Amino acid sequence: MGVGEEFESLAFTVTPEFNQQYLDAVEDYHPRYLQETEGGQPMVHPALLVNYSNIPKTPSFNLQPGTAAIHTHEEIEFLNPGTVGKTFYVRWKVVDIYEKRGRTYQVKEVTVTDEDGLKILRRRMTDTYFSGGQG
Amino acid sequence: MNFITKYIQDGHEFRGSPKIPTQERVNNFSGGYPKGPGWPKKTIHTNLEFAKSCGLTACAASGAMPEGYLTQLMIELFGIDWLRHGKMTLKFIATVKPDDTVLPKAIVRDRQIEDRNIRFIMEVWCENQDGKKVVVGTASGLLQQ
Repeated sequence: MGVGEEFESLAFTVTPEFNQQYLDAVEDYHPRYLQETEGGQPMVHPALLVNYSNIPKTPSFNLQPGTAAIHTHEEIEFLNPGTVGKTFYVRWKVVDIYEKRGRTYQVKEVTVTDEDGLKILRRRMTDTYFSGGQG
Repeated sequence: MNFITKYIQDGHEFRGSPKIPTQERVNNFSGGYPKGPGWPKKTIHTNLEFAKSCGLTACAASGAMPEGYLTQLMIELFGIDWLRHGKMTLKFIATVKPDDTVLPKAIVRDRQIEDRNIRFIMEVWCENQDGKKVVVGTASGLLQQ
């Protein structure tokens, strides 16, 4: 993917069971993620939304066998909480590619919005790719 | 109890809850949803053979796990409104292995007035059971007056 190109976007719906799986993963059982809140349904744990906007989640993510993406750094801005039951849309746009110490880095701008158009997350994240033997 | 007040001094350190990303928790995080045949999806996070094929010696938890721990700490400090104005800049400098103990921490470094509110600037990181930092960076949040 070159600068200016977009990866295939992702849509996913967060059910209570999906959210629960992430609460178990990060050991965070605050009632706001389990019970109705002032806004209605429980909130989606932010770690779920962060992980589902990482680059391996795009449907167009396709690496050679023995190759993996390594997330090296990022800027992230939280704009609104997500709500359980909503569908979320993730878009990834390549904004820079550079080399450093023989390794290629790809910078993406990432947005997460919900089905009502509410902006949830904005990220600028950098990944590199490596394969067996490159360590 | 962790929370920010305007009386908190620069240099004050906060600690979140220690976390243990067991392989089961890593699988829940990175194995995909819903669970079914073939779950967890084979990745460097969930499958040792896959990780080795990519040159790693062990599975590595997703960097989004310690990022999530830091997010939890920031929400403790600033309240749930942090999800409406919180910012972080992070570098992932070492891997987290299953069964490591990961401790999120934050130190107040600066503050700025923003629309009559105070934006606190924090140095943040997660360290493992050996005291080695795995994620480092800055975070900020608003204390609303």
